This record gives sequence, structure tokens and C-alpha cells, in this order.
Amino acid sequence: MLAVDVKNIKKTFTSKQDTVEAVKDVSFQVEQGEIFGLLGPNGAGKSTTILMLTTLLSITDGSASILGIDVETQDKEVREKIGVALQDTGIDKILTGRELFFTTCRLWGYSKVDSEKRTKELLELVGLTEAGDRRVKTYSGGMKRRLDLGLSLVHSPEILFLDEPTTGLDPGSRRVLWEEIKRLRDSGVTIILTTQYLEEADELADRIAIIDEGLVVAEGTSDELKASIGGDVITLSFYSDEDLEKAKNILTDAVQSKDELRITVADGASKIPEYINKLISEGIEVSTVSASKPTLDDVFLEVTGNRLEGTEKAAEEKPTTTRKRRGR
Amino acid sequence: MQTNRSFAVQLQILTKRLVLRFLRRPLAELPNIFISAFFLFVYDGALGGVFGGSAQGTPLDFANGNFVNFILPVSIVSASLSGGASGIYLVEDIESGVFKRYQSMPISKWAIILSPMLIGALRVLVQAGLIMVIGKFIGADPAVGTVGFFVVLSIAFLWGMGFAGYSVAAGVRSGSSQGAQAASFLFFPALFLAPTFVPREALRGWLATASAYNPTTYVIEAMRAIMVEGWVMDVLLKGYIAAGLFAFITLSFAVISVGKATEKA
Repeated sequence: MLAVDVKNIKKTFTSKQDTVEAVKDVSFQVEQGEIFGLLGPNGAGKSTTILMLTTLLSITDGSASILGIDVETQDKEVREKIGVALQDTGIDKILTGRELFFTTCRLWGYSKVDSEKRTKELLELVGLTEAGDRRVKTYSGGMKRRLDLGLSLVHSPEILFLDEPTTGLDPGSRRVLWEEIKRLRDSGVTIILTTQYLEEADELADRIAIIDEGLVVAEGTSDELKASIGGDVITLSFYSDEDLEKAKNILTDAVQSKDELRITVADGASKIPEYINKLISEGIEVSTVSASKPTLDDVFLEVTGNRLEGTEKAAEEKPTTTRKRRGR
Repeated sequence: MQTNRSFAVQLQILTKRLVLRFLRRPLAELPNIFISAFFLFVYDGALGGVFGGSAQGTPLDFANGNFVNFILPVSIVSASLSGGASGIYLVEDIESGVFKRYQSMPISKWAIILSPMLIGALRVLVQAGLIMVIGKFIGADPAVGTVGFFVVLSIAFLWGMGFAGYSVAAGVRSGSSQGAQAASFLFFPALFLAPTFVPREALRGWLATASAYNPTTYVIEAMRAIMVEGWVMDVLLKGYIAAGLFAFITLSFAVISVGKATEKA
């Protein structure tokens, strides 16, 4: 049975002023035990999709089921199966971590004895045993996210929804959280996470759906998506906008991305001299050139025509960068 | 692991959580207690010599010689405004996202809503109780005996729940804790368009008319009857009806408002 089955869901918000189609047409399937990433920029429709799947928003059109249970008509049953850590779900900061776990366990229906036991387990799981008796307002951002993750696990959900779980965290805290998410996946929990970080999607997700403007524009494993580009990416930058414009006219297979030209080609490193010579012969000076394996950002650029803004580039660039100085 | 998700258990847990919050922010209780006690001391000091106490036996003595008995209900009504914290608690939960977390869990919506109201009731009892202790200390002595304090407290409780419902509705509709706080300013016209300093018979013109339509009037008069006159049943009944109706209307308004706010968009 599929963990999550989403078929052509749409979400339209209607107000007196206007109508906004936040999600236009999203479909995907998630197998049990995998991490599925929804990658896209702010406003792409990722969080709205998650809110619909977690029963917090109604679905305007289409259908979705969690472990075969219809999200729209059986919301109570769905909530039993899922854990939710949303971007804007809150934590009562005046309580201690231990009190929060205990309260949440009790709300899920555990007895006092069982709640104490589960609280201890979860504090250990998210590495907050020592900080458990401190009020949450004294926690760092990373500790709060781990606490949030732990709170979503109280009832041992089969499926976990994480909406941008590491946004705003420093790289160290992000790594710690990634390890915990992987450990959960390894223990059999299905995880659906949204992210705008390419590196995060690459590192965590077994499969990825790229969402842009409310539509799924590409889907597959990270390798499949990168392979879909069909080669390496050569990136060229120039000293002047004038040179950039001229180069664009010469290299007709290049795509402009901000102040760079990008060419997708097989065996990119070996093709660099050919392109450089072509440009030099036309009097165009190249500032930098590099060949790299395609990143998810390249995939995103390929399928949407835009870069994924505010993201970190995956550290995949080969050390083949050459730099030519303008001889003045 | 066995589970028990009864409404009563959920309500108890959510209320306990707010009790912890209440106990950990004791300073938040001080302003309202201070204002209520301030009213008691200032009004007694400023008006007690004219309307009671030293003016005993004069036509201006409407307190049977004990102005503290006469003015204490004003301070208690003021203290019962602390029920308005319910809306602030609820809106804080909405603003912080805690409310959304609870919505994503199989918890009764009504337990989520009722718990801040119960904590509002607790605040009313604590604050009104403290004002009564202060009142007793400076000479309040109910005409019906000590039981009078409990009768007054029960009216204050109902009245405070009315403010709790009002603040929840105002907070949810405005969507901000500032909105819930701002709405509490209704309290001032409610308190002063009433026989606050003198009996209703001594009011005149538009103020006499306004006070007749103001439920606060009947609440204050019922408390005063207990403190100054004794078991005046018709006045007492009107006080309970006014406070009860106010609570019923505002709580219904709160339930409708929260129901709309929690509908899936």
C-alpha cells in the first residue's frame, strides 16, 4: 500500500478582493519507508500541499489518501497515522521540554506512567535529556527544531510531515537534524519533507518532486533528475555585460542565468578549450569557466527557467575552474 | 500502551498547561489586582467621608455607615475583568502556532477553547478573592455575614466568565492578542455607566437611562445588596440573571467565533 497517494490536488483561496490558486495541480506517490522531498522556492505551493495532506486545509479539487485513508473525508483517522512538524506550529516556550513531551503524550491519550516513560524515550531520541528540565525559551533554534520533531513523534506515527525542518538553522544544527531524520527513515517511518535547500533535498530525499507555481514540474531520484539534463554543465562568466551579450549570440546552445552563461554538454571538462577558443577568436574575454556535474539547481533552472532563490549550491563543482586575467 | 482521550482528560491536561503558564507569569496578574485595589482604597478614601462612615445617619449615607461595603463591589467587578485574559491566552496560542499543533492532533476543539476560559475563571476567583481579603482587612463586613463573600464571589465568577467569552470572541475575530486586549476597554464605559459611586436613584438624566440598560448596574446592585442590606432576593436575582445572560451571550459568541476560525479554509 502506498504511504501517500496524491492525485491532481488543487487549492484555491478566494477572498473578496481576488482568487489565488496556491496549488494548481499536484500529484505524487510516496512508498512506505522512503523520504520524499518537495523542493521549490517560497510561494511554490509546498506548504499548502502539506497543510492539505495533514488535514489542516481543505482540498479544493482532486484527492489524497494516507495509507489508503481519504484525507478529506476521514481526517480524524488520518491524524492518528501522521506526525506533523510545520513551519509555523508552535511550542509553548514557558514550559520545559519535559513538560511539553509529557503534556503531548497525555493529549495523545497515554496514561501518566506511560507518558513519563515515553517522555524519557523521546528526550533521549532528540538529544534533549540534559536540557529537558529547562524552559523552552532558553533553547537554541536547533534544540527547538529537535523538540518540535520529537513532539511530532509522540504517538509513533507511520508517516511524518516536516515542513522546512531546517530553515533558519546553522549548518551544524542542520546536520544533526538530518541525521535524526535519516535515523527515523531507517526505523521505518515514511517522511515527506518540504525544503528550499537543494543540498537538503539531495542529502535526505530518496525521491524528489520539484514544485513551482503550484505545479509538479519534475519528479524522480536526485540522480534521475540530474541525469535528465543530459551531461555536465559548463558555466562561463565575463568581465562585462557587453561580452556576455556577444557570447550569448555566439554560443547559441547557452542559457543565461543571471550574469553567467550555462551550457549543458556531455563530457564538459574536455569541451572547455573549444568554447574558450571560440570566444577568444571573437575578441571576448572570459572571466571564469567551470565544468560541473549538474546540481538540482541546474535541474530547477532547466525545468522552470529560473534559479531556486535563496538556496545553497550543492558542493559538487569540479576543481576545473580556470581564471583568465584581463591583460591591462 | 493504553490510551484515554476523553474530553474530560483533554480539558484537564490543557487547563493544567495554562495553570503552569499562569503560575510562571505571576507579574502579569499584578496590574489588574493593583488597579482593583487602587479603586478600593482611593474611592473609600475620597468618597467614604461623604457617602458613608463619618457621614453616617445623613441623607448621603447609603452604606449604613460602612462605605467599604458599598464600594467593594466596584473593585470586585474590576477584578473580574481578569477573565478577559482567556482571549489573550487563546490568541497567544493561535499566534504562536500552538493552536495549529493541537488542531493537527485528535483533540476536541472544545477542549482547546474551554481550557483558556477555565483559566480565566480561575483568575477571576483568585483576583476577586484577593480584593475581598483586602476589603475585609480594611473593614468590609457583609450584611448577610461571611457567606456574603462567597455569594459576591459567585456573581463575580459569572461576570468574569462573561468577559472571558467576550475576550475570546474579540481575540479570535481580531486575530491578535492586542485585539483581545484592546477589546477590554469596553470595561470602562460598562463600569462607569452604572451606579458606581452612588445608588441608581441618585443618578440623573442620560446616565440614569444608560445605567438602566447596563448589565453592570444589576451586578453591582446585587453585590451591594449582599454587602449593605442583606438578602434582597429580587435584586440578587436580577444580578445573577444579568451576569448569567452576559456570560451566556458572550460565550455563545465565542463558540461561534472560534467555530468559524477553526473551520478548514
